[in-house]
Amino acid sequence: MATIVVQGKQAGRSLPRLDARDKVSGRAEYVHNMRLPGMLHGKIFRSSLPHGRIRSIDVAAARALPGVYRVVTADDVRKVIPHPYYGPAFHDQPVLAIDKVRYVGEPVAVVLADDPHVADAAVQLIVADYEEMPAVFDEVEAMTSTAFVHEELKPAGTFPDLKHLKGRKNTNIALDFQLRRGDVDKAFAEATHVFEHTFRTQQVLHLPLEPFVSIADAGTSGVTIYTASQSPSFVRIEIARLLGWPENRVRVKVPYLGGGFGAKIYIKLEALVTALSLIVHRPVKISLTMEEQFYTLTKHATTLHIKSAIDQDGRITARKCDVWWNGGAYADIGPRVTQKSGFTAPGPYDIENVSIDSYALYTHLPPAGALRGFGIPQLVWAYECHTDIIARAIGQDPVEFRRKNILREGRPQATGTLMKDAAIEAVLDRIAARMNWSGTFDRGSGTVRRGRGLAIGFKASISPTTSIAIVNIFADGSCGLYCSTVDMGQGSDTAMAQIVGEVLNLAAETIRVVHPDTDVTPYDMATLGSRSTFHMGHAVRIAAEDARDKVRALARELGLPEGTNFSIPDLFKKKYGMQAGNIVGVGSFIPSYTPPDHETGQTPNATPFWMIGGAGAEVEVDTETGHVKVSRLINVADLGRPINPKLVETQLSGASLMQLGFTMFEKMQFDGGQVTNASLADYKIPGIFDVPETIENEAVDAVQHSGPFGAKGVGESGTFSVSPAIANAIDDAVGVRLTELPLNPEAVFRALRAKANRPLPDA
Amino acid sequence: MTPFELLEPPSLAKAIELLDPDDLSTRPIAGGTALMLMMKAGVFKPTRLISLAKIGPQFRRIATGPNGDLRIGAMTSLSMMEHDAIVGRHAPVIARAMRRLSNVRVRNVATIGGNLAHADPHMDLPPVLIALGASVVIAGRSGERTIPLEKLFVGYYETALQRDELISEVRIPSQHSRSTVYLKCTTGSVDDWPALGVAASIEADRSSIRSAALVVGAATEKPIRLNAAEAILSGTQATDAVLQRAGDAAADEVDLISDARGSAAYKRELLRVYVARAVSQALATNGGRG
Repeated sequence: MATIVVQGKQAGRSLPRLDARDKVSGRAEYVHNMRLPGMLHGKIFRSSLPHGRIRSIDVAAARALPGVYRVVTADDVRKVIPHPYYGPAFHDQPVLAIDKVRYVGEPVAVVLADDPHVADAAVQLIVADYEEMPAVFDEVEAMTSTAFVHEELKPAGTFPDLKHLKGRKNTNIALDFQLRRGDVDKAFAEATHVFEHTFRTQQVLHLPLEPFVSIADAGTSGVTIYTASQSPSFVRIEIARLLGWPENRVRVKVPYLGGGFGAKIYIKLEALVTALSLIVHRPVKISLTMEEQFYTLTKHATTLHIKSAIDQDGRITARKCDVWWNGGAYADIGPRVTQKSGFTAPGPYDIENVSIDSYALYTHLPPAGALRGFGIPQLVWAYECHTDIIARAIGQDPVEFRRKNILREGRPQATGTLMKDAAIEAVLDRIAARMNWSGTFDRGSGTVRRGRGLAIGFKASISPTTSIAIVNIFADGSCGLYCSTVDMGQGSDTAMAQIVGEVLNLAAETIRVVHPDTDVTPYDMATLGSRSTFHMGHAVRIAAEDARDKVRALARELGLPEGTNFSIPDLFKKKYGMQAGNIVGVGSFIPSYTPPDHETGQTPNATPFWMIGGAGAEVEVDTETGHVKVSRLINVADLGRPINPKLVETQLSGASLMQLGFTMFEKMQFDGGQVTNASLADYKIPGIFDVPETIENEAVDAVQHSGPFGAKGVGESGTFSVSPAIANAIDDAVGVRLTELPLNPEAVFRALRAKANRPLPDA
Repeated sequence: MTPFELLEPPSLAKAIELLDPDDLSTRPIAGGTALMLMMKAGVFKPTRLISLAKIGPQFRRIATGPNGDLRIGAMTSLSMMEHDAIVGRHAPVIARAMRRLSNVRVRNVATIGGNLAHADPHMDLPPVLIALGASVVIAGRSGERTIPLEKLFVGYYETALQRDELISEVRIPSQHSRSTVYLKCTTGSVDDWPALGVAASIEADRSSIRSAALVVGAATEKPIRLNAAEAILSGTQATDAVLQRAGDAAADEVDLISDARGSAAYKRELLRVYVARAVSQALATNGGRG
C-alpha cells in the first residue's frame, strides 16, 4: 500500500496524553468558559422538602428584582415540552418539579438574567408553599413503606426487560431482578458451615472538579446544545423525543470534560436549558456550583445481605444474595445497575447454587446513578469481606480459600455464561506475590498494629451497546478521527489516535481527533462503564481499516501495482489532478449478546468481556485513636493487552484513590433528607497527603481475544476491591470487623472498644 | 452571591471610620477566604465590604519588638508567616502547623488578623498562638488596646472585638527555652478541618516540667486553656503516668461538641490521647529548639 513513513507500533505505546499541553496551559476548551452572544444565565430554585405537594410558587418578588429577565416554572416548560419527563430507564424525572417535590434540592423554578449574580439573588426571593408528605430515606424501609415516591412506574420502553414494570402502582421498587441457579435450599441443608452477614455502603458522590454545565441555543430550525456530557448521542435522541423533533434538528457538542465518573451520563441539565431557550428565544446557560452537585446525582447507598454454604473441604456450595439499592427520587440508570451489576453479586467464585434478589428502590433522596464501577464496588465490598470472614472462621488462609473457590476459565458464572479471557486467578496470584503473602510480615507493636488484606472483584461490560466511528484521510495524507467518545480525562483521544495510527501506520500524535458534535461525529452509546476502548476501539479500528482498504482500492483504480510506494498525496493528485478529495472510512461495532431469562437470570452470553480488578492493602492502625494509615496499596487488573500502558497505570491508581476516599471517609450526611455537608469545605475528597506511601499498579499479562489489539476497558477496575482489601487488613491488624463504609477512625475505635468490652457511649 | 459595594480605604483610621456598628451587612474584609465561603453559602449577604488591602504596608510586615517579642502586622498573610525567617527562629511551631493548615492558595491570601477575628473554632492557629502566649493589639475609634489572645475569643464565632474595632497586630513574646507543639487530628481526609487540635507549650529541664500551657481547639466552641491538665503537669516529672493523668484531666474539664467529624464521646478519647502525645513531643523537641 501507499504509505508515508513507518512509525513503528502505535498500540502498546506509552504515549503521553495528546491533550496534556492544552490542559496545563489553559487552552483546552470547556463549556464552563463558553459564552454566546445574548446568552442568559439561569439559576435554580430548589425544593427544601423531601416530599410535598406544591400548593403555590410565589415568584413575584424575584420577577420584580431589577435585572431579572424571566422566572420559569413547570407551567412554562409544559408549553414547549408537553410531557417533560426524562430518564434513560424510566421517564420519571420532570424538567422542573410538577405538582410534587420528591427530594430536598429538586429543581422547582429557574430565574434567568444577564448577570448570574442577579439571578442568584432573585432565586432567594422565591417562596414555595408545600403540603408536606411523609418521606422514606432508607432503602430497606422503602421496600415496605407506604410513603410512595411515585404514583406509578413509568419505564422508558427502551429496555425490554423493564416492560413488565409499566403501570405498577403503590410500590417503591423500581426494579426487582432475580437470578436462580441450582438448588440453593438443598445446598444450605447439606452444608457443613453456613455464614450470613449484612453489609452497608453510604451515599457518596462523583464531584468532578468541573460541575454540571450546559448551554442551549434554540431557534426555529433546531437547537444546539453545548454540554459537559458523557453521552452526546443519548442527549440528542432524548431531546428529540421530548420535543417531538427529528434527530437532525438537535445538535449536541461536547468539548473536554473536567471529569465525569458517571455523573454526566444521560440527561442532567440539557432538557432544562433547552426548554428555557425555547421559552425565551435566547441562548441559556446553567452552570451548577460545586454545592449544587450534591443535589444532582449520588452513588447508590446499599444494604447487602449475603449467605454462604460451605462444605467440609472448604468449598462454597451455595450463595444467596439480597441487595437493596437506594436509588433516590428518580431512577436515572439505577435499574440497570441493579440488574447488570446485580448478577455478579456472588463474586468471582465457582458456586453451583446461587440465588440473587436485587432491588432498585425509590426513596426521597437525591437520585443515584452510576459511579465508576456501576454498582460493582458495593457488591465487592460485601462479598470480599464475607469471603475473608469465612476463610478466617474455618481456619483457612484467605488466599488459599479464594484459590480453592475461584472462578476459572471455561467455568460457568452465576448466569451460566462460560468465563473467557478473565484472568481472575492471575490477578489474585500477582497481588499475593507482590505482598509476599506466604512470607513473614511485620505486625507492629504497642499502639500501632499492622495488618494486610486483599480482595478480588469482577464486572461484566454493559451490553449490548453500539459505537460508530469515521476516519477521514485528507488529500495531503493527514488523518482525522470522528467519534463521539468523550475525553473526560481518561485519555480516550490518545488511545483512539493510537488505534488509528496502528492501522494506518501513522504516528498517533499526528491524528486529529474531532470532539463529539452530533452533526459531525457518528453515534456512540456513551462514554461509560469502561466500554470505550473495547466498543469504540473496535469501531475506530474498523473505520481505519476501511480507509486503508479504500486507499488500496484507489491505487488499484489508478492502475498502480500492489505494494506501490506511491504516497497518499500522490494518489490524490493522480486521481484529481491537484491536492483535493478525501477518503472516508466508516466503522461500526456492536457485540453479540443474549438477554437473561426473566425468571432465572440465565444466559449463555451475558457480556462481551469481563473486567477483573483486585487490590492488596497494608495498614497501620493506631489502637488509641482508631486512625488507619494505608501504607501500601496494590492494584492489579486484567484489562487485556494495554493500548497505552502509562494511561492504564494512571487509570488504575486514579480509580483506587477515588475509592480510597469512599472507603475511608467520604459520606454524604443527611438530616431529614437534607444534605448537611454539601460543599467541599465539609465534604472532603482525598488530597495528596491521603495517597498511600506506596502505591503499585499492575496489568497482568493477558489478552482479550475479542478486543481491539487484545485490549479491553480499565476505567473502573481500580475501584472494585479497595474497600474490602482495607477492611480485611484492619481485621488482620486488630481483629475487628467493620461491615459499613466508611471505615473512619471513630468507627474503628468504637469497634476496638466494643471488642474490649468497653463500648463507647453514643454521644 | 449578590452584588455589594467594595470600599478600599487608604488607612486603618479611615477603615475604622467606615465601619458602621449598627449595620450588620457592612463588614471588614482582609483575605476574604472565610467570608467568601459564607457569602457563597448565602449565610452572609453584605451590602458593603470594607477592604483592608490598602491600609498600608506597616500592617503587612513581621518585626522584632524591644523586648524580643515578635510583632506581626494583622494583614500579614499566613504564607508570609510560614516562610519568614524570624518567625521560624522565634516559634518554629507556626511554620510546622501551617503546612497542614488549609492549602497554599488559601495561605497566600488569608491574613493572620482575619484568621483570628473570624473566630471560627476549627482554626488551627488560635490554639497555637494562645499556647505561645500571644496578645493582639486592637484599634478602634478611641485608640488602641492590647489583650491576651485567649481573651479575644468569647464564644462560637464570637470575639471581644467591637463592631468598629480591628485587630492591627499580633504579638508573640520571646519563647526563651519554651518548646511548643501543635497536633492536628483529622478524621476525614488529612487536609480536612481538624476534629480536634491540641497545642502544648512546655518549659522543662529535661523531663522535669516547670510550666505548661495547653490549649484545645476545634472540638470546643472556642479555643480553651486546659487549666486542670496544666496544673497536673507543672512542677512534675513527666512520667507516662503523669501524662496520662493530664490527658484524663483534660478529658474531664471541657465540653466537647458532636459533629460530622466525630461524636463528643469519641473526641473525649482523642483529647485524652492527644494531650499526652503533644506534651510528650514538646518534651522530646525541648532543648533541640522545638
